[in-house]
Amino acid sequence: MNIVDILDRRAVKASLSAKAKPEVLRELLDALVASGGVEGEPSEVLEGLLAREELGSTGIGYGVAIPHCKSESVSRLVAACGRSAEGVAFDALDGKPAHIFFMLVGPKGSAGAHLKALARMSRLLKDASFRGVLAEADTDEALYAAIQSADAAA
Amino acid sequence: MKESVERRIVVANELGLHARPAALFVQKAAGFKAKITLTKDEMAADAKSLLDVMALGADCGSVVLIKAAGPDARDAVRELAEMLEARYE
Repeated sequence: MNIVDILDRRAVKASLSAKAKPEVLRELLDALVASGGVEGEPSEVLEGLLAREELGSTGIGYGVAIPHCKSESVSRLVAACGRSAEGVAFDALDGKPAHIFFMLVGPKGSAGAHLKALARMSRLLKDASFRGVLAEADTDEALYAAIQSADAAA
Repeated sequence: MKESVERRIVVANELGLHARPAALFVQKAAGFKAKITLTKDEMAADAKSLLDVMALGADCGSVVLIKAAGPDARDAVRELAEMLEARYE
């Protein structure tokens, strides 16, 4: 699976204004809703995302966070991507702020596709130079293009 | 004494090695001195790197190879294998 299959251009935000974790989740969720990714209640998705953070932060280090959840409010796996130049504290494993956020929301019972998407994102993100390109992408178009090109090359 | 140990195991986790179990696995691996790799198909992951391990996309039933080299390699392989073969979330 390719990231671009589940990531709509409109769900990419290179200049997040959020300064704290819940706000980041809301801002990314807004982008997901704007891209038509959420058929049901956004508040239900937000609850799921917050509950998942309670289990353990999705701030995986390297300035990256991968908030995700399963939800009844989506009918297919969808993603959003955000970037914060200043960084947001995310209780990350390495204690550092997160600058790049990949959000994944899937329908209940989609564990297989969910895992594949996570694996695909991780595969791209483990490349430090790709993370560097994302950190520099200061427009929505540039951020989407960076993901698209890495996705095509990998 | 340096030794290299490896073991092939089947991932028992119903939802596979997704973010949370992968994080717990990596945390445990980090506690060992040995250099540890986890391999699925042709892809090798540094067991102490969360992104590496998640990139494997090890789903339930997939076969992975745990390999360790170093002073506590034997303990590392045994404990990590036990972890993957058990059902933990």
